[in-house]
Amino acid sequence: MNKESNGLGLKQWEWEIKPETSWWDIGFVELYSYRDLMVQLARKDFLALYQQTLLGPFWALLQPLLTVVTYVLVFNKIIGVPTDGVPPLLFNMIGITLWTLFSEVFLQISKTFSQNAEIFSKVYFPRIIVALSTLWLQLLLFGIQLLLLFAIYLLFVFKGQVEFNAGRMLLIFPIIANTAGIGFGGGLIFSVLTAKYRDLMSLIQLIIRLLMFVCPVFYSLSMVPEGVRWLVNLNPLSSLFEYFRFAFLGVGSLNDLHLLYSAGFMVLIVFLGILLFNKMSDKLMDVL
Amino acid sequence: MSKTVIQVDNISKLYNLGTIGSGSLRRDMQLWWQKNILNKQDLNQEIRDGRKIDTNDHIWALKNISFELKEGEILGIIGHNGAGKSTLLKILSRIIKPTEGLVRGSGRISSLLEVGTGFHSELTGRENIFISGHILGMKKAEILKKFDEIVDFSGVENFIDTPVKRYSSGMYVRLAFAVAAHLEPDILIVDEVLAVGDAEFQKKCLGKMNDASCQSGRTIIFVSHNLQAVSNLCSQAIWLDRGSVRARGKSKAVLNEYLGSLHKKSWIKEFPTLREAPGNDRIRVVYVELLPHLDDPLSVIDIRTALTVKFRFYNATDNIVLSIDLLLFTLAGECIFDIPSKPEIYAKGMIEGECTIPGNFLNNGSYMFTLHFSKDTSSELFNYQECLMFDIADYRESTNWYDKWWGYVRPDFPIILKPLTILS
Repeated sequence: MNKESNGLGLKQWEWEIKPETSWWDIGFVELYSYRDLMVQLARKDFLALYQQTLLGPFWALLQPLLTVVTYVLVFNKIIGVPTDGVPPLLFNMIGITLWTLFSEVFLQISKTFSQNAEIFSKVYFPRIIVALSTLWLQLLLFGIQLLLLFAIYLLFVFKGQVEFNAGRMLLIFPIIANTAGIGFGGGLIFSVLTAKYRDLMSLIQLIIRLLMFVCPVFYSLSMVPEGVRWLVNLNPLSSLFEYFRFAFLGVGSLNDLHLLYSAGFMVLIVFLGILLFNKMSDKLMDVL
Repeated sequence: MSKTVIQVDNISKLYNLGTIGSGSLRRDMQLWWQKNILNKQDLNQEIRDGRKIDTNDHIWALKNISFELKEGEILGIIGHNGAGKSTLLKILSRIIKPTEGLVRGSGRISSLLEVGTGFHSELTGRENIFISGHILGMKKAEILKKFDEIVDFSGVENFIDTPVKRYSSGMYVRLAFAVAAHLEPDILIVDEVLAVGDAEFQKKCLGKMNDASCQSGRTIIFVSHNLQAVSNLCSQAIWLDRGSVRARGKSKAVLNEYLGSLHKKSWIKEFPTLREAPGNDRIRVVYVELLPHLDDPLSVIDIRTALTVKFRFYNATDNIVLSIDLLLFTLAGECIFDIPSKPEIYAKGMIEGECTIPGNFLNNGSYMFTLHFSKDTSSELFNYQECLMFDIADYRESTNWYDKWWGYVRPDFPIILKPLTILS
């Protein structure tokens, strides 16, 4: 806030527009005042997503279901990937639900600038509001998919094939937060990069696909040969998937050090993402 | 004394053409590598730094703009296309950053750089009122409070639950503007939004803006090509020309100067030799001039101004029955009048003529004179088309009608009204 007073010497200026945004100049108060907009944007995207569609929000359920069926067919029935004695349907469902959260958050947030260039060039609001509303919407869609996962899970619990443990289940909340955080931070960084370099957009799809193969989504860490396990462990998402599956099934290779690595990575990437996004968002308007 | 709400201090905006717009990661990495690792300067860069920065791939969209606005003032920004008006508005709206300088202000600021920002065509009018309202900076409670008023203003009550993609373009614009018109910021920035909608709606919008400033003490910054609206609404004006302030002050004075610069050049045409003069081997027009009857030579031709057209031509034929016609056309090519001279016999040589059109006769607009020369009142000697082009500015008293006045002519014939007493 500027200390210089205006002509009358009574009142200070409430705001100023300077050529540069400093790295630390994140207006949290301003951000809070735009909370209505955040909710509204998420609402708009949700409504627009299912406008004039046959199944509406059921798509959020159908999508992972179809993926799971494909995975079970390909990996378990055809290739024969073992699932640690867990029913393949449930095993894949757990992995895919969490993976969808990460990949969707990452992908959608990385489109922040490229998809909103029109609005951004006409009206000001803190640009990160759009990213936050995307995160919000994706968490909501994830919530719907999580319900489906629970329904299937309970089915297997009643059949006695897996065992439910409430204390263990609480683990999913920090895991979800951690996964969404990595997607959010990475998405913010890539939103800035893709705004400047359009050609990186196609790279994102590739990154997501490659990450998935070095992540225990449709296999578990214990099946990975010792020699290449370091590669999977290098992926900060890996331990999250092991813990997430453990919360449901009670099996998995847990390693607190790896979990700490994931958490540390998340904090770092969210921090860097917000700083970069904030610093660059005004400058990017010249190149959009 | 009212307080200053916005202070623009020496802002400039430099656009790089090409360099950062290259959009290619490879090129930028190459540049970075050369500059920071190999310590070599990019060759283009070197030339640029050696001289002024103002080379082909840089453009100063704005240069050293400063002004202040007090509470309740309406500032009009005028200028040609590409003068930097939109860039200035975008900086004030915080959409882009200035390259140099500082803008400071107090109070909430809202900008309307287009109508329907944030509208989603798949969603209903109702949803879109909320979305657009939020994007423009309204709070939820505010929108709820004004919802009925907004719907009322837009006049689309019956279609409020229909997706806006099924709206006619007029309805769409009306709804979009209705949301914007109910914003209550301390400072409102408006760009050309009045170029849309029908005449009646435009009038409604201008009225709304006027109210906002007069009654609520709102400060408005307004860009328009509609000089009539600027002159009627704005107290202050800035004329931007190629990124710099050309004139600043009371809106009437700035507008006059602007209009004066637009057309002064075409008010006189003079040719020193017969060979250069337009015409043929029978007629050569060596001089045409439009002389407006203005007390102040700097002021502008408006509908009250009488106009004299003077011309001189060489007649190459002896003993000819000559007559000329002075025709006035609109820019669209419609003829307003055709005044013939009395046909008479002239000898070979220079002939001078003039004709005066009284004030309070023509409507405002852009016009062109044509001189037509004929022999024996029937065969054409020469037709000097569009020899003079000029603008007539509007002038109105005692009316709240801001829109274009109807008709080609606007004579000042009095209408006498007499109230009649009704015997009951």
